[in-house]
Amino acid sequence: MRAALESLLRARKLDVTLTPFGPSGEALGPVPDQARVAPTGVPALDAALGGGLRRGHLSDIAGAPSSGRTTIVVRALAAATARGEAVALVDARDAFDPASAAAQGVDLPHLLWVRLDGRDPAIAVKAYSLILQAGGFGLAVLDLADAAPAALRGLPATTWMRLARIVEGSDTVALLVGADRLARSAGGATIACESSAPGWQGTAPRARLFSGLAFTPRVVGFAHGRQPASHVL
Amino acid sequence: MKVPSYDDLTPGIPDVGPAPADQLALFLRSAPAAPVAPLAPFAPRAPLAPCAPLFACLRLHAGAVPHPGVLLPIATDFSPRVKRVSEGEVLLDVSGLGGLIGPPDEIARQLARALVDAAIAANVAIAPTTTVARLLATQASPDGPLDTDRFHELPVALLEPLETLPPAMPPRDRARPYETFQRWGIATLGELAELPAAELSSRLGRRGIALQRLAQGLDPAPFVPDGETPRFIDRLELEWPIDALEPLSFVLARLLEPLSAALERADRGAVALRLDLRLTDRSTHARVLQLPAPMRDPRVLRTLLLLDLESAPPPAAVDIVAIELDPAPSRITQFSLLQRALPSPETLSTLTARLSALVGELRVGSPALLDSHRPDAFAMEGYAPEQGARSARSAEVRSAEVRTEDTEGEGLATDARSADVGPVLRRQRRPQVIHVSIERGRPAHIASSRRGVPHGAIVQAAGPWRLSGGWWTDRDWNRSEWDVALKNGAVCRIYQDRVTDRWFLDGVYD
Repeated sequence: MRAALESLLRARKLDVTLTPFGPSGEALGPVPDQARVAPTGVPALDAALGGGLRRGHLSDIAGAPSSGRTTIVVRALAAATARGEAVALVDARDAFDPASAAAQGVDLPHLLWVRLDGRDPAIAVKAYSLILQAGGFGLAVLDLADAAPAALRGLPATTWMRLARIVEGSDTVALLVGADRLARSAGGATIACESSAPGWQGTAPRARLFSGLAFTPRVVGFAHGRQPASHVL
Repeated sequence: MKVPSYDDLTPGIPDVGPAPADQLALFLRSAPAAPVAPLAPFAPRAPLAPCAPLFACLRLHAGAVPHPGVLLPIATDFSPRVKRVSEGEVLLDVSGLGGLIGPPDEIARQLARALVDAAIAANVAIAPTTTVARLLATQASPDGPLDTDRFHELPVALLEPLETLPPAMPPRDRARPYETFQRWGIATLGELAELPAAELSSRLGRRGIALQRLAQGLDPAPFVPDGETPRFIDRLELEWPIDALEPLSFVLARLLEPLSAALERADRGAVALRLDLRLTDRSTHARVLQLPAPMRDPRVLRTLLLLDLESAPPPAAVDIVAIELDPAPSRITQFSLLQRALPSPETLSTLTARLSALVGELRVGSPALLDSHRPDAFAMEGYAPEQGARSARSAEVRSAEVRTEDTEGEGLATDARSADVGPVLRRQRRPQVIHVSIERGRPAHIASSRRGVPHGAIVQAAGPWRLSGGWWTDRDWNRSEWDVALKNGAVCRIYQDRVTDRWFLDGVYD
């Protein structure tokens, strides 16, 4: 029995179905292999994630508007394209700004961008499934940040489990973006973004410049997570 | 002023191989009365790529009387890809003969030996491009292999037979650039090759640049062998009309599988696929698929055809199905051990076709920024990460050029933030109308009737940033932008249309 379980674990048949936490929250699983993680490009977040988001797992980012969730996604896309990987973004509300992304370092020819009008998130999930099934992408993002909560509740309950099973064992980091937590696989991470004060340059009312957002991404429910310090982008 | 180069003017003409004179140039003279002269050890100046093209030129000696077809049998003994240039000159593609015969000098030696056995006095030249091979084969007094310096010392006049000029061109016009070169003191290929291309183009036009490319050893066009080009076409008349895609898929598979096998036998892949469906209403439903890379997997081709037919179904039942594949040399891919492999073109073709069928063709691809100050200026391009990786270096050069010519950009912008990296914006691609209260000339409150649109009191505001442009087109813009922070924590970009005075939400910083 034990030998059978160990062989299944070696074949990674069970590792994503087991919880990596002990009763007191300590990590049970091995430290993630650095070749199996994808750095997000946000150093504080990568340190909290033990190197980055784990490949072959479903992770998610949640936060309110101006909480920095899109910045983390774009940084992750930039880091992946800098490594020469192909990346994909299913944009449920057609909100992606190529100019901002290029300024953050995203190599746009490596980005497969699927633009939707946001009417039905099921179509976005279907497109995302096709991308995950095709394989070969280093990072695949499903952006449902502006989707209506009622529409998301209308998705079948097995949607996220099916996505996690598709990406399991592959080299792809599957990343969901939403206003609230959507789903993650056992080896994935949930990053909760909280907004804080925006940064401004200049004190005079007519000579002021918006310089960026200060936000605190919190890693929730990850085996090797530490809470990163506030990060200003 | 930037003078367009020949590359800019003729982007469709590909470079065939690298600059040959830096790699390899072999020349051998054979005569029936004399043994083949020994060759010096083969020592290319740069390592040849494993699959580098290699061409041989057989050219009868100047004094020899050309007999029709005397060189062709010898050439076809060595390669099936042969092109007869004239009665006394034949080109053949000897790429890939290395595994069968040996290194290029051995190929040249065996060609010369075959000529000697056939009692033919001819020159043999081997080079990575047909231009260099032909130029070397015109030499009258060779004594072993030529080196690159001697190639560059060849006279410019040798280029005249290599030019492709209109037959009706007067002799005076034909000789004009050569007279100009003579006046400039340009006598050799090396001197012509080193002239600045922009100045040469401004004085002699496209022909001058074409001559310079020949002097550099570049081919003006890909090598196309003689003979009937095989056509990969098949057709099937159905006993009963088909009015659904599922039964049609079996017909497509039956046609595509033998075509793919024929492509494999010819070591070719399909770069375009044409489907002609003859319908019961006597019309023809034609579809043409341009493939991103040569491919011949019948399952992939069938899937692509079916997905295309899903988006553009035939209006009536199908009587006759005909498929034609446009062949091209198959792909040779060398993956890196240090980088993750990108999705294959077959995978990407199928994926983008499925996504296009799901969300629309114009909504799938890669964004490309446009050289414009118009807000949210981008274009959707086909997704080809392999090409993107190859063109990354040239794109950096182009962007550097664009930065140096910023005065010629479209429109007028006063956006001081463009030089900064800045935060990431989530755009409202369909700008939402909002109601903005103004106090002391600055936005103070945002209201909106739509759910999900940020609203509330404004606690910080920066602006206005005035942007305008495109007034000479029907897509002009003229607006004042503000960055505002709301009391609820959201930071937005809003703008006022200066023509209509209406306020819109442009996006949310996130």
